[in-house]
Amino acid sequence: MRHQRREFLKLMGVGGAFTLLPIDIARAAGTPAPEDRAVYISASAGDADDYYVSAFNASGKILFEQALPGRGHDIGLRPNHVDVAAVERRPGLYGLILDRHTGDVRAKLHCPEDRRFYGHAIYSNDGRFLYITENDFDHARGVVSVWDAEDGYRRVAEFDSFGTGPHELHLMPGGEHLVIANGGLHTHPDFDGRTALNIDSMEPNLSIIDRRTGKLIHQASLKHDWHQLSIRHLDVAANGTIAAGFQYQGEINDQVPLVGIWQPGKEIRPIEAPDNVQYRMRQYCGSVRFDASGQVFGISCPRGGLVTFWDAKTNGFLTHIAAPDGCGLAATDRPGEFVGTSGLGNGWRLDAIRRKRVELPDDSHKSLHWDNHLRRITA
Amino acid sequence: MLLKSCSRLMLLSTTAAIAIGFAAPNAHADIPDENYRPVLNHLLNEVMPPKLDDFHKANAQLSTSITDFCADPDADDLKDVQEDFHQAMDIWQEIQPWRMGPMVANGRDQHIEYWPDKHGTAARQFRKLLFSKPAGYTDPEQLSEASAALQGFPALEEVLFDPKNTAHMTSSDEDGVYLCQYGAAIATNLETIAGELRDEWPEFADAMATAGPDSMDYPTAKFAATDLYRALHEGILIISAQKLGKPLGDNKQDAKASRAESEVSKRSLRNIAHNLTGLFAIYDGKWGDVGSEGTGLAALIDSSLLDRSFRLNWQTVVDALDGLPASVEDLLAQPDGYDKLAEFKSQIDFLTTLVENDIGGNTQLGGGFNALDGD
Repeated sequence: MRHQRREFLKLMGVGGAFTLLPIDIARAAGTPAPEDRAVYISASAGDADDYYVSAFNASGKILFEQALPGRGHDIGLRPNHVDVAAVERRPGLYGLILDRHTGDVRAKLHCPEDRRFYGHAIYSNDGRFLYITENDFDHARGVVSVWDAEDGYRRVAEFDSFGTGPHELHLMPGGEHLVIANGGLHTHPDFDGRTALNIDSMEPNLSIIDRRTGKLIHQASLKHDWHQLSIRHLDVAANGTIAAGFQYQGEINDQVPLVGIWQPGKEIRPIEAPDNVQYRMRQYCGSVRFDASGQVFGISCPRGGLVTFWDAKTNGFLTHIAAPDGCGLAATDRPGEFVGTSGLGNGWRLDAIRRKRVELPDDSHKSLHWDNHLRRITA
Repeated sequence: MLLKSCSRLMLLSTTAAIAIGFAAPNAHADIPDENYRPVLNHLLNEVMPPKLDDFHKANAQLSTSITDFCADPDADDLKDVQEDFHQAMDIWQEIQPWRMGPMVANGRDQHIEYWPDKHGTAARQFRKLLFSKPAGYTDPEQLSEASAALQGFPALEEVLFDPKNTAHMTSSDEDGVYLCQYGAAIATNLETIAGELRDEWPEFADAMATAGPDSMDYPTAKFAATDLYRALHEGILIISAQKLGKPLGDNKQDAKASRAESEVSKRSLRNIAHNLTGLFAIYDGKWGDVGSEGTGLAALIDSSLLDRSFRLNWQTVVDALDGLPASVEDLLAQPDGYDKLAEFKSQIDFLTTLVENDIGGNTQLGGGFNALDGD
């Protein structure tokens, strides 16, 4: 696959692992539709432990790839700015601030020695502060670090995440609160930084904190029987509904919910798909994303090779579409429609309403393994 | 001990052979998608349907025999019913690992056998049932709407094998009459479920065998075949972690036979023997008199040495199990029973590594970038 990518880049007139391609969106006559101008950005990998942040356009054409020192995970988008934040997946040591148009490195973040990045970052709505989930591994404590983008990305504060193993975080509507998925898993660099050390006693939760003071505003957990459901990924609709995807740490044939909906102040509501779909989710959700309407959300299940779709209004399962090794999900500007990416190199448009899957037409994106998460940048 | 050493030697020698590079030279070339299709077609359309038919027939026989027994209960007839239970359970344990499509739809596998039962739900509900004796549970249709823990083989096992219950039944007292009617309802319900499973399978098999880009369920034959590989992989994992790991516990003092599957009928290890038969059929393509050798996942492996070594290792495990009693309880009652059980688990674990590394790798069905190492 790496070789194929190199060949492709040569054909494009550029080459080398660190070459940055300029944006090259073909401009048709007239004004392109917003979706046609959209750019998708994600962590990616080649075949030889080579890792990147890569961007492609609505057709799937690679726009740039920027080499990373280690495997990335999610990308944080700075509102109204060229910056995007790529934080190394857990146990991460680096964070890079890149130019979203070119992939150029604009700043570097270094994790303190007694912390490890956990792969997810989000900016405040005004773009000034970057929030990153981290592991305070000696105290089995999750933290959210705060970095000032207007002061050279200086680390200016650190808040408790109110749980262990914080993973994805998002701003709540209004922009003053952060919701954090505390996965509950304690890991330590002395044990490779990824192996869970507390499966029997893990206590995942969803926590909402004030982004300025770090004060806990809301918190919810699943019932104790389900304490091995690691709450890892989430997305927030414009009305404040939170959709969460779980990763089960128990037995492969236990019957447990893998999706939850949370209205802060209430209990997390677990929801399930029909048995033959639920089974194919293989106890593992990889990515959560609301659509443009905020009513439909997609949850990818890469172990089962499915993307499942749910209705946040009725709290019900909608449908599923097979997507081998599919994980990254980003909403397009059309209700019920998403772009999905896979570790096998595929990119699709997935229509939850019509239950349709269409391959992105440009093959250049197929030269990479697309990692866990996908973000859409509106032009 | 000699046997144990030999089996270890055999396992190690195979590992060494593979490690020094006997894998096919073109092992990394992509297997064409069309190569997966005959495997799918053979396993799902040729091999599985007769087994599902056998399962249905075995349950029909069980239903008939328990109904006959209840008409005039005696100890000899009870033995016949127990034997019919074992026959049905043998086939179930062979198809149990094929967890896909209609097997798992509508909770069917759990309705057939509610297991593992982490919280002892079945025993608790069974006690309540006997106390209150609700009439609805003697009607198969109403029973089919009841808790899964009271519907399938574990509940029937309690009825047919727990000495307290069999004493009631053979003496035809009030509890015995109720137990008989309830047991007959379970068997009839199982027959119905088995019939539904048999009838729904062909549509699922066709969807798998005709996988293609227009399908929203199975876009490629390779993707469909992944479900077969997963059934093999997960089947071995479940044997190790649950069927053996749970009764073994953390150490000898923590071992508990009652945590094993089907211990009331003393057949927990017999279950595993039949699991291995059904699992090996996924690899080999031959299942008893059905199918033909080398037409399962084995057809995708381009290395005769790897194929032979996998078969040899699998047979070693089967032979080891043949030397053990039918139940964990009987094995743990032996002076070195715990060690034998632990040793057998280690052999199963070795098979797991072979399935993951050799079968998953060479069939290219082991999983992708995100599936294998997500976050």
